[in-house]
Amino acid sequence: MNRDINMKVNVLPVLTYNFLHVNDSTLQIKDMEIQTDGAPKPSDIPAGVTLTGEVPFSEAGQVFRANKERILVAKENFAGPNGDTSERDKDQAIRTGMGADVDNLMTNMGVKSDVYTIDEGVRLTSPIILRYDMQNGQGSLSSQVIHAGKNSEATFIMVYDSDKDAAGFHGVSTRILAEDGAKIKLVKAQTLGKEFIHFDDIGGALMKGAEISLVTLELGGSRVYSSSYMYLSDKEASYNSNMGYLCRDDHSLDINYVADQRGKKTNAAMQFKGVLMGTANKTFRGTLDFKTGSSGSVGDEQEDALLLSPDVINRTMPVILCQEEDVEGRHGATIGQLSDDLLFYMQCRGIDEVEAKRIMIRARLESVSRLIPDPEIMQKVQYYIESIV
Amino acid sequence: MSENKQIVADIDRSLYDFKDVESESDFYRMQEGLTEETVLKVSEEKNDPEWMRQFRLKCLKLYNEIDIPDWGPSIDGLDMDKISSYVRHKSDMKGRWEDVPEDIKNTFERLGIPQAERESLAGVGAQYDSELVYHNVKDEVAAQGVIYTDLESAMWGEYGDMIKEHFMKLVPPTDHKFAALHGAVWSGGSFVYVPKGVKVEIPLQSYFRLNAAGAGQFEHTLIIVDEGADLHFIEGCSAPKYNVANLHAGCVELFVGKNARLRYSTIENWSKNMYNLNTKRAIVEENGIMEWVSGSFGSHTSYLYPMTILKGDNSKMEFTGITFAGKGQNLDTGAKVVHQGKATSSVINTKSISKDGGIGTYRSSVIIQNSAKRAKASVSCDSLMLDSISRADTIPGMDIRTDDADVGHEAKIGRISDEAIFYLMSRGISEEDAKAMIVSGFANPVSKELPLEYAVEMNNLIKLEMSGNG
Repeated sequence: MNRDINMKVNVLPVLTYNFLHVNDSTLQIKDMEIQTDGAPKPSDIPAGVTLTGEVPFSEAGQVFRANKERILVAKENFAGPNGDTSERDKDQAIRTGMGADVDNLMTNMGVKSDVYTIDEGVRLTSPIILRYDMQNGQGSLSSQVIHAGKNSEATFIMVYDSDKDAAGFHGVSTRILAEDGAKIKLVKAQTLGKEFIHFDDIGGALMKGAEISLVTLELGGSRVYSSSYMYLSDKEASYNSNMGYLCRDDHSLDINYVADQRGKKTNAAMQFKGVLMGTANKTFRGTLDFKTGSSGSVGDEQEDALLLSPDVINRTMPVILCQEEDVEGRHGATIGQLSDDLLFYMQCRGIDEVEAKRIMIRARLESVSRLIPDPEIMQKVQYYIESIV
Repeated sequence: MSENKQIVADIDRSLYDFKDVESESDFYRMQEGLTEETVLKVSEEKNDPEWMRQFRLKCLKLYNEIDIPDWGPSIDGLDMDKISSYVRHKSDMKGRWEDVPEDIKNTFERLGIPQAERESLAGVGAQYDSELVYHNVKDEVAAQGVIYTDLESAMWGEYGDMIKEHFMKLVPPTDHKFAALHGAVWSGGSFVYVPKGVKVEIPLQSYFRLNAAGAGQFEHTLIIVDEGADLHFIEGCSAPKYNVANLHAGCVELFVGKNARLRYSTIENWSKNMYNLNTKRAIVEENGIMEWVSGSFGSHTSYLYPMTILKGDNSKMEFTGITFAGKGQNLDTGAKVVHQGKATSSVINTKSISKDGGIGTYRSSVIIQNSAKRAKASVSCDSLMLDSISRADTIPGMDIRTDDADVGHEAKIGRISDEAIFYLMSRGISEEDAKAMIVSGFANPVSKELPLEYAVEMNNLIKLEMSGNG
């Protein structure tokens, strides 16, 4: 049966001036047949990992509900920020970057989740790879939950690919619970066709000493929504996120990343590097949220957006919320074209302006793609970048 | 006596919080609430021209249609049915200080206004509740053709057409609910016109005092700095503290001509029962320069984001601001800039301090339109948390619509380092004094932009807030 989808997503954790049009976004799809059984499975399941398939989306979230007190670290809240939107997503099993409407869609569409449980102390030496090979005209929703036991280590790589001219719809929800000392690396490389609508909604919680490293490449698609909400719930939790993006033609990219720091001495670092071309339209929201109790924590978010056309639209909302005295929060953004000095330097060495721009686009994106721990996938992504640029 | 008490003794909060005993018979106070009847009554009191009367009614309609913003601090404690929109002394505005009614004169004497005028100002306007009670400009400045007068009388004089052409054109009543409210019941404020090429060497100042409990102040400041002219305008505000909400919904419209420069400095120290919903906006022509210096210390709740439209090529804007949110305060402040002209540049540099449960929010927007080729914008916002029961939030927004722009942004949130306090204490300075010194140093980029006597006042306010008696 064909479906229409109309969701309010990527709601900013705190509202601001409506004229900036950054408080939220709308994801609309008309008359699309959507499959809910298209989640790929890994070629083999390593020892110490259990894959439980066919779990209803809501039921798969039970692991977060059962640990809600540990995740939210209920403490006396003295005052919320002005324009606080947290109430909106309070019924989610775990808050995600795109918010409650995605959970409702998944539930209403009957999406089944794949639940990966990594046993305590298990350290995987090879990544678990999920390859989504999307077909032209295909619509698909899927979901994973990753529950990493104490002191376990694992890498997940998800590749979303199709023919470069393909159209379709692809939505994924990935939720992670990293127990004490667990280390999870999650890589998402998206090279979908230029008429694809794609969303990638991530939510996670890090317990004592846990680490999550997120690498995201948003390179294809026409309308892309890429979002993450991470709770750094316990002492010395560490979250590192690197995103590289390329938004061209009349495409749009809508980002909402949040690091919610609750434990003591937590560390969050988020870097976003990308290129806008043509009449591309990008909205970036990045939030560091230091809650009461996060003393000794550090947060840093950096954005570097290269604008390569006079008609691009770049919106940036770097937010820092702070309810704790003993923290350090930083944000930096550099937005603009290549500097005259750099172009002059390159031209002095026989590199013309077009080639100089190519080099700088590749440099930005490849600095992120190099973080893909699988050589074959990294090479494929880099080839994709070469072919586009 | 502890050092802390010594600090408090140095600063006399009664400077701002004293209440004058007003004789009811000397004052006219309009019925609380906002209706067509009250708006027409204000219009009648002001002897408005017909266009202004119609404009007020249009604004009232807009006020009733526009929603309260959903993104800022709560203003649930503000009940317009309990606010009187218009309170005035029965005496007229005076041009000689000696002629100002005794009770009002005493208020401004205590605030040091006439002394400041004698010593360091080119002209002074003093508003008490809804009306200006005194306006004067030095002869030598008036001789240069500088107009500094109340808006109402200017509306009937030779500048009437100029006022009609500019009034609420930069801040249209459709802008937001409280701009519409302002348009409906505005009263008092100043009109300044600096003719072409005239440089006013010493500042003009308007001082706003809201003395009545449960009242609103809605003054309108309209400044036109013509081509090549130069002006520094200072605005000061204070009020005694009451247990009922007061409202300030003023409006400032600034027109900076080609090659002109305007510096607009504000030290805002409204009492902590005040809802400060003020709107300030400037438009700058080719090669013009707009400079804002803003200190926000008072008010229960503030929405304050001076905005600059850089319309002309090569026009520039600089905003330097500090906000100190103490106990019971929710101060949502910042700046907005729109780059339209080519090679325009803006620099926003703000400091925010939160203490004793205060909520300080830095909120801004930088918009670079497609036409603003070679625009440059730089934003830097630093927040200092002095305890863990307060909040310091930064919510900056940027909207860039050309590749030919250079935008930089940096924000930092942190605390006073233990090492710095230890260093100062090891040299015999008490912990309280050490913290006050560090906070004053943090605020230094703002205070150094102010005239000396205002910098001293600002540092006193910081010490007062640091001592917990602000």
